[in-house]
Amino acid sequence: MNQILLITDGCSNVGESPVVAAAQALAEGITVNVAGVVDEGSIGEHGAAEIAEIARAGGGMSRIVSSRQLSQTVQMMTRQTVVGTIRQAVNQELQQLFGIESVAALPPEKRSDVVRVMEDMGETAPLRVALLIDASASMKPKLGAVTEAIRDLSLSLQARAGDSAIAVFHFPGDSDHEPCVVDSGWTDASARIESLFGRLRMRGTTPTGPALMRVVAFFRETCGKINRETERPSLPTKRDDTDGVRSDYVV
Amino acid sequence: MGCGVTTSSDTGLPPGTILRGKWNGRTYRLERLLGAGSNGQVYLASSGRAACAVKIGNEPAELQAEANALMSLDRRERKRPPFLLDVDDAALQGRDVPFYAMQYVPGASVRSYLRRHGAQWFGVIGYRLLRRLAELHDSGLVFGDLKNDNVLVTDYGRLALVDYGGMTAAGRSVRQFTEIYDRGYWGAGSRTADPAYDWFAAAVLWIHVLDGKRLMSLTRTVLPQNRSPEDLMTLVRTHTALKPMESWFEKAIHGRFADSNEACDVWRACLHRTEDVPAAKIPGWITGLFVFSVALCVSAAAYLLLQL
Repeated sequence: MNQILLITDGCSNVGESPVVAAAQALAEGITVNVAGVVDEGSIGEHGAAEIAEIARAGGGMSRIVSSRQLSQTVQMMTRQTVVGTIRQAVNQELQQLFGIESVAALPPEKRSDVVRVMEDMGETAPLRVALLIDASASMKPKLGAVTEAIRDLSLSLQARAGDSAIAVFHFPGDSDHEPCVVDSGWTDASARIESLFGRLRMRGTTPTGPALMRVVAFFRETCGKINRETERPSLPTKRDDTDGVRSDYVV
Repeated sequence: MGCGVTTSSDTGLPPGTILRGKWNGRTYRLERLLGAGSNGQVYLASSGRAACAVKIGNEPAELQAEANALMSLDRRERKRPPFLLDVDDAALQGRDVPFYAMQYVPGASVRSYLRRHGAQWFGVIGYRLLRRLAELHDSGLVFGDLKNDNVLVTDYGRLALVDYGGMTAAGRSVRQFTEIYDRGYWGAGSRTADPAYDWFAAAVLWIHVLDGKRLMSLTRTVLPQNRSPEDLMTLVRTHTALKPMESWFEKAIHGRFADSNEACDVWRACLHRTEDVPAAKIPGWITGLFVFSVALCVSAAAYLLLQL
């Protein structure tokens, strides 16, 4: 199960459409959720609409919350998405095998058995969550809450019986042709997350679309090798600079 | 949260609404809304002459998962009457909604019980709560979402746990929890279900019930990265009712009991120690009587003396 969680506070303004990028993510089997963080004022009609549309295109959900609610929202969206992904897969199986449209069409005793299997899958299936953090200037006061949300999420993922990992990215990158930067490759240890944004430089542009595309590419490059990843889950994935993400940008 | 919520979920269904089970055919008459959570509403209902509680959910698989938890609990605790009575679907406002019926547990939350009957009940209720948790732990289950609202107290401090949505098999990740009761939130450990997870939540429960104001202000003022179980211990040490139980809290918050029976034993030991202190003091009414009788003697003596 692969998920991208985008945390942002406004509209994209550079490069390709984030909605198209999210649709591409979904096409590659990655669900995209979006948390819009707003403390003062509002996110603007345009920003709110974009957030909702990215999530729709990415098959996920979106919420606009204050930084206080961020941890809980991130938890909830991740969990719901896991449940949703499994439900979808199970319903598909039921459709093919028995010609019924969903779990709800089963009588209670049968449903009870199927749900038990679903719960088991939710707890044990491998889960990858890539967090993509908007680090534009306006996000600066919210990064404390973002770090806390990441810490909190990694705590919950660690408790799962199945193999789980988090990767963290922020955008924009340090130069113009760098849509985003890897802060942490796949890891299952929250210790690495603690001082993530220490050396972050805040910049003006918001290339949400290109950054999303970059994370999708990261999934493609690393998740084919989930097995290798699980043997050494705490090793950060460092790669050369052939695809625009330099290992020396790892904070 | 928020998804698929119809207007009826906000206000509750009107009393008298009839649910007719699609599969098992039993009928329920909804009497009143008892509570609403993120994944459904619970009603007091009647089925024939018997009262029961009915939970109506939004999502069939999610509700079934809860019913499964109750079912496994009933299976493991065969000595008592089953808690789960029926699982079914009913047509409501043109669509099928999933529901289950369970035993109705009357009672008040811990906090309102103590408010009505006095804080001196805290020792008994705390002991009974730990006993109940120990029973669950003995059958390999962890309650998970322990909090004020989920512990109902009836006559003389008898209690029942309600809302088993957080109940998790030991070793799995806790299915549902409430932030301020969560061990992970306070940086005191993992979210993997083990008996110590419930001990921690029980400790927070008492701080919340007896010292709620200071606990809530702590959650607002301390930065997340600085939050620590020591903050909770500071509250315990500076609260008159909690202070005598300090050694229990110390162990509960750091998960240092050998097992849940020890958690009960230490609670009881702390309790008896605290009762010794006020027991040495003579209750006010005895003192009053004594003073009165002395005064009576003196005045009688004075009267006799004056007579002489």
